[in-house]
Amino acid sequence: MSSSGAGSAGYIRAIAAISAATLAGFAMEARFDPVNIAMVYLLAVVVIALRDARGPAMTAALLGVLSFDLLFVPPRGTLDVDDAQYLFTFGVMLAVAWIISGLVASVRARALAQSGLEAEARAERMRSALLSSISHDLRTPLAVMQGASSTLRERGADLSQAERDALATDIFEQAGELGARISKILQMTRLEAGAPRLDADWTSIEELASSALEGLARALAKHRVLVALPDDLPLIRVDAVLIEQVLANLLENAARHTPEGTPVQFSASASASEVVVSVEDFPGAPPAADVSMLFEKFGGERGANRGVGLGLAICRAIVVLHGGRIWAEPTERGLAVRFALPRTHAPAPPEPEAR
Amino acid sequence: MAALRPTVLVVEDEPEIRRFLRLALAEEGCRVVEAGAGRRAMIDAGTHKADLAIVDLGLPDLDGMEVIRAIRAWSPMPILVLSARAQERSKIEALDAGADDYVTKPFAIGELLASVRVALRRRARPVTGDSVLIFEAARVDLQRREASREGRALHLTPLEFRLLACLAARSGQIATHRQLLVEVWGPAHERDTHYLRIYMKQLRGKLERDPLRPRHLLTEIGVGYRLVLDD
Repeated sequence: MSSSGAGSAGYIRAIAAISAATLAGFAMEARFDPVNIAMVYLLAVVVIALRDARGPAMTAALLGVLSFDLLFVPPRGTLDVDDAQYLFTFGVMLAVAWIISGLVASVRARALAQSGLEAEARAERMRSALLSSISHDLRTPLAVMQGASSTLRERGADLSQAERDALATDIFEQAGELGARISKILQMTRLEAGAPRLDADWTSIEELASSALEGLARALAKHRVLVALPDDLPLIRVDAVLIEQVLANLLENAARHTPEGTPVQFSASASASEVVVSVEDFPGAPPAADVSMLFEKFGGERGANRGVGLGLAICRAIVVLHGGRIWAEPTERGLAVRFALPRTHAPAPPEPEAR
Repeated sequence: MAALRPTVLVVEDEPEIRRFLRLALAEEGCRVVEAGAGRRAMIDAGTHKADLAIVDLGLPDLDGMEVIRAIRAWSPMPILVLSARAQERSKIEALDAGADDYVTKPFAIGELLASVRVALRRRARPVTGDSVLIFEAARVDLQRREASREGRALHLTPLEFRLLACLAARSGQIATHRQLLVEVWGPAHERDTHYLRIYMKQLRGKLERDPLRPRHLLTEIGVGYRLVLDD
């Protein structure tokens, strides 16, 4: 679709169409009546009226009338009109331009309103699905906390020390889980509210990786974590806090969806233009589900019903914010999620020291 | 032993948070003074001769940052900051304003008590910090400028020694990027974070058993570094 003739493009097209009609008119002149040449102009006006807005259409009609009168209606080279029937031709041309461009405009407006309504309905469905998913995710740990703490409060004296410890541990762990889920929701909201300011600085992937692994020590305890980083990995200029979160989400996701005891591999490599970071899992077979939805807000959970499924959507938002890209590749034995960040110019290294 | 009971000033507006801090700190052997607002805290810090202040950054009457500056204006007492997650900027600001360390909310009590212990210990033994640093696999004598790894001599460059000394001066506590860059390379380099990345990598390679899983030279993403030594 054209951009409904906004700006000067429509007017330029109007001039071009009338010029083309004029050339055609010269070619026809020897064998056709001037009235038929008027038809060619009319055709040009109709085309512009269909394609562009009323302004260009009226311009085309006016230019058409002037050209036709000047070049083909005797006496030529003047705007005088001998025959009253040509005045009628002019009137028709202007009327056609007015009517068609008006019709087209109203059809367009209706289509636009329709698609706006549809988008709104889609967004509304997303919002309510997100809300119900979020409320489920927040209520589950809350239910454990309230149940366990009220048991402690009302029946604590009758319980053994081991039972009290177990309840207290549940409360503590569910509080952690609840906190993690709330942070993700807040993070997604912040990222969607508009591009946050990136606090970019020179950052080492090794440090991001060790920090993420340290923070996930418990979540990864039952997997074998392999780290494969080349020694000459360049520094990247990123918001370290956000990119660490991407690494943490990818590692956590890999561990959550694969059986205990299987490996999770973290690796990175650099080309001249970008640094690619991969988190690979090896449950034994590629994921059964379609991986193309993985980065959508609810697609990130590979069928499991734990967590809002915002982890990978957050990863994508952060990576895109850095001018990078993220994708998933099913492998023979599992899934690799990779992201690439652009390499910027290297910083000036510190002055070498005397050894 | 009453004289050895350190006094801890807790500046926090949520009564529930004050309660568990009070219980846990008392259990730890501290005398606890509570302030629910910033102005109250500035007065209490002086009248109660606090040995340590724990300051929440989000207070009802004034910014926790102002409390830190006010205390720092007249006292070198250690200050621990409580701050919400994802606020690296305010953590850095608090550290630059004179706070000694921070604990991110929500936190487990063990984490906070560990920071309290480090802060109180450093108060008892200020200025230089340790001069002999014992790592899992290596040993560094900052005064004699000697290092060894598994019994064999290890070469450290002068800047590596200086960086280690700066970290050791805050052993157990965080050193911000800016603090380290200014102290090691000078004020002209306070934004050259990549110097730190390069030198910390060198140091980890020499001193850590597994540089990718460091036990001593820890990264605080977005804020700085922390040297952790076993007691």
